[in-house]
Amino acid sequence: MSSDVRFTDFKSDKQPTWCPGCGDFGTMNGMMKALAETGNSPDDTFVVAGIGCSGKIGTYMHSYALHGVHGRALPVGIGVKMANPNLEVMVAGGDGDGYSIGAGHFIHAVRRNVDMTYVVMDNRIYGLTKGQASPTSREDFETSTTPEGPQQPPVNPKALALAAGGTFIAQSFSSNSQRHAELVQEAIEHDGFGFVNVYSPCVTFNDVDTYDYFRDTIVDLDEEDHDPTDRDAAKEKILEADKEYQGVLYRDDNSVPFEQREGIEESMADIPDGAPEDAMDLVREFY
Amino acid sequence: MPDDLNWAIGGEAGDGIDSTGKIFAQALSRAGRHVFTSKDFASRIRGGYTAYKVRTSVDRVESVVDRLDVLIALTERTIDENMDELHEGSVIIYDGERTTMQNVEIPDEMIGLEVPLQRLAEEAGGAIMANVVALGAACEVTNFPIENLDESLEKRFGDKGEAIVENNKEAARKGQQFVQEEYEQDDFGYDMETTDEDYVLLNGDQAIGMGALAAGCRFYSGYPITPATDVMEYLTGRIDQYGGKVVQAEDELAAINMALGAARAGARAMTATSGPGIDLMTETFGLVAQSETPLVICDVMRSGPSTGMPTKQEQGDLNMTLYGGHGEIPRFVVAPTTVSECFWKTVEAFNYAEKYQTPVFLVSDLAMAVTEQTFPPEEFDMDEVEIERGKVVDEDELDSWTNEKGQFQPHFPAADGISPRAFPGTVDGAHMTTGLEHDALGRRTEDTEIRQEQVEKRQQKVETAREEEDWDYREYGNPDADTLVISWGSNEGAMREGLAFLEEEDIDVRFISVPYIFPRPDLSEEIEEAEQTIVVECNATGQFADVIEHDVLERVDRVNKYNGVRFKADELAEEIKEKISEAEVTA
Ligand SMILES: Cc1ncc(C[n+]2csc(CCOP(=O)(O)OP(=O)(O)O)c2C)c(N)n1
Ligand code: SF4
Repeated sequence: MSSDVRFTDFKSDKQPTWCPGCGDFGTMNGMMKALAETGNSPDDTFVVAGIGCSGKIGTYMHSYALHGVHGRALPVGIGVKMANPNLEVMVAGGDGDGYSIGAGHFIHAVRRNVDMTYVVMDNRIYGLTKGQASPTSREDFETSTTPEGPQQPPVNPKALALAAGGTFIAQSFSSNSQRHAELVQEAIEHDGFGFVNVYSPCVTFNDVDTYDYFRDTIVDLDEEDHDPTDRDAAKEKILEADKEYQGVLYRDDNSVPFEQREGIEESMADIPDGAPEDAMDLVREFY
Repeated sequence: MPDDLNWAIGGEAGDGIDSTGKIFAQALSRAGRHVFTSKDFASRIRGGYTAYKVRTSVDRVESVVDRLDVLIALTERTIDENMDELHEGSVIIYDGERTTMQNVEIPDEMIGLEVPLQRLAEEAGGAIMANVVALGAACEVTNFPIENLDESLEKRFGDKGEAIVENNKEAARKGQQFVQEEYEQDDFGYDMETTDEDYVLLNGDQAIGMGALAAGCRFYSGYPITPATDVMEYLTGRIDQYGGKVVQAEDELAAINMALGAARAGARAMTATSGPGIDLMTETFGLVAQSETPLVICDVMRSGPSTGMPTKQEQGDLNMTLYGGHGEIPRFVVAPTTVSECFWKTVEAFNYAEKYQTPVFLVSDLAMAVTEQTFPPEEFDMDEVEIERGKVVDEDELDSWTNEKGQFQPHFPAADGISPRAFPGTVDGAHMTTGLEHDALGRRTEDTEIRQEQVEKRQQKVETAREEEDWDYREYGNPDADTLVISWGSNEGAMREGLAFLEEEDIDVRFISVPYIFPRPDLSEEIEEAEQTIVVECNATGQFADVIEHDVLERVDRVNKYNGVRFKADELAEEIKEKISEAEVTA
């Protein structure tokens, strides 16, 4: 059935309540395109979302989906994929969701390398709670809870991912829709944890990291002849604090997904209607 | 009272106390004797006093008592620690040649057996076998046929090669011979009758793990914590044989959320933890209930609050499992009362979880988790295991659960509160689930009517379960007695034996052991019939007593223990006696 799936099949009939102009519209469209492009259907796709404006994405898409608690979307996605490796699992959330409350899970999801895709809508602000500093906010970015700015450097999620052994690290910009969709598609096709940080501007609460700012500063890695399979080159690019790149920063072509290493091939949903045939052996072990 | 023997080996953590104790316990069990073990241990790996205690009888034993007949003391402290339980005629086996044991003084009324454990072990092939020499000596003292020890040694050392096994058998015999030759008193008065029964020996955590496998659990995620880790260790590897997996998560927040994800993908999933871990999981309880995901959450309780006494017994988390989490969370709380019930209640927990699509708390405690007990294998009759998955719909049945637009309604407010589940991959079943309040489609709403309808739908599941399932209890003692004792969790064994102690003093008691906390059996009639009701539990405030009082609107008496040690049968009988006489004075 997958051949005749169109990206609109991944759209729910629920109207988004995002502010007009929010970057998350473009982010979501790219995700839906990428899913359709990779031959998935809503019935074999599972989208897990975090909490935040970004987390509403699961509601506006049509697929099997779970909208969980703040910061815990990644473990849910890992559980889904391990229990049924035939599903396409996509996890989406905000920078607060992923790099603040969920930062611990982020590091461990990266190093666990389950075959799934993680899209972070990075607007460098807390949108849903109406404009507080996020872990990617600039050091001097004034918000309601940080009138002098956070006074601490922003986290560098791509550096965290690389340090944790990430096997696919990409950066996109929701407004460069074609490129963004391609990058998500590449993340889906990657065998392992595909991580895409998306610049997805908040037009309501962030007047610094705006569409204009990203449009003016972003540089496509393709123009720089970047070799994504070269880890040292990736490291250099990722650590350039004053540069905004789009493209695949790092990709390990030898990546073997965790569930494959663990030998999980089948869905765990099918079980017998009583104890397994040889269950008495479990008891005899205790003789 | 059955003719039983209480035996222990004690020393420093790291001295191989556990494995030595286990070898003896297994030998007894294979010789057709019942065994009940307990452990004294501290929260450290090396150093610190630790002991493995074995109570054994031809009759079933279900609790520990304050009596020690034979003690292998590897350190002087072991003797001090157990002085209260040693009695006239108790035998203490120790290595008098060890520098630290040379000045040991054994009280006159006890029998000190100085056995050069280390020297004899070296003669048999290595000092490392000193504990096995002691076991051989213990066989001689207790009149236990040493051949039974051999099988147990084979089991323990078999994979290390024939030579090691033979050396150990030899070491045991050296201990036996030494006692035979050096001590004229060749009969210490113990009769260790063997039988043809073949028992299995396992603890509560293992029984929970085994129950999970029997029930088709395929995904387990957890984060190590005493005393729940044994569940995870048991499942690791074994679950793979059935196509499942254990994942060690980065913390308990991840553990419960991974299990939730797996459950949503259609697997039977479980997580287990103890006090501090349950705290961390709390936020997700609501998500499990709100998204109507079947999940078994096991809490093996230990002493709290905070890190409390991690290696000690308590039943202090009842309120947490009953009420933990913000908002109102429909849930079930099931608390096995014996080791074998840990198995059966785990099977039930999975069925409740899937039939009613709720979190099910499986509440066990440290005393059960670290206690190994013998059972006839039929007690785990796998043919009795039934798996009920509830309303799972496939493509053909989907139609009857769609709305007029053909959309699948995973939260349809059916009269019994139970809506259909469609596992991901089911064609045309794609749907949303969320922790937010939602409509029948699973979509977020703040509509007052829908909110009310969905709250009622979820609560209705509990009401349906109240009607459909048997929330019964087990009863012992005299059903017509004036005094009613109620307990939950691992106290059942001690109380059952306590009844015998009370009987000896002509004290008549009716005893009810309750494995279901929520929903629970209605005990109002039983309480009304009784003149006095006493609720026994290992906590300071009487959490279960509160619940029962609330049910019957009548004050109950309480026997509480919260020093970190489980109830002992004789001690519990004494406390019950005191409560009864207090009531008589005030009456
Ligand atoms: C445990 C918990 N703490 C706090 C909140 C409140 N909260 C909701 S969204 C959010 C931050 C969202 O920021 P981000 O992830 O950057 O997403 P955005 O809204 O910007 O897309 C917070 C703090 C919550 N829901 N749960
Ligand atoms: S507040 Fe910001 S992030 Fe949220 S919807 Fe509006 S623009 Fe988007």
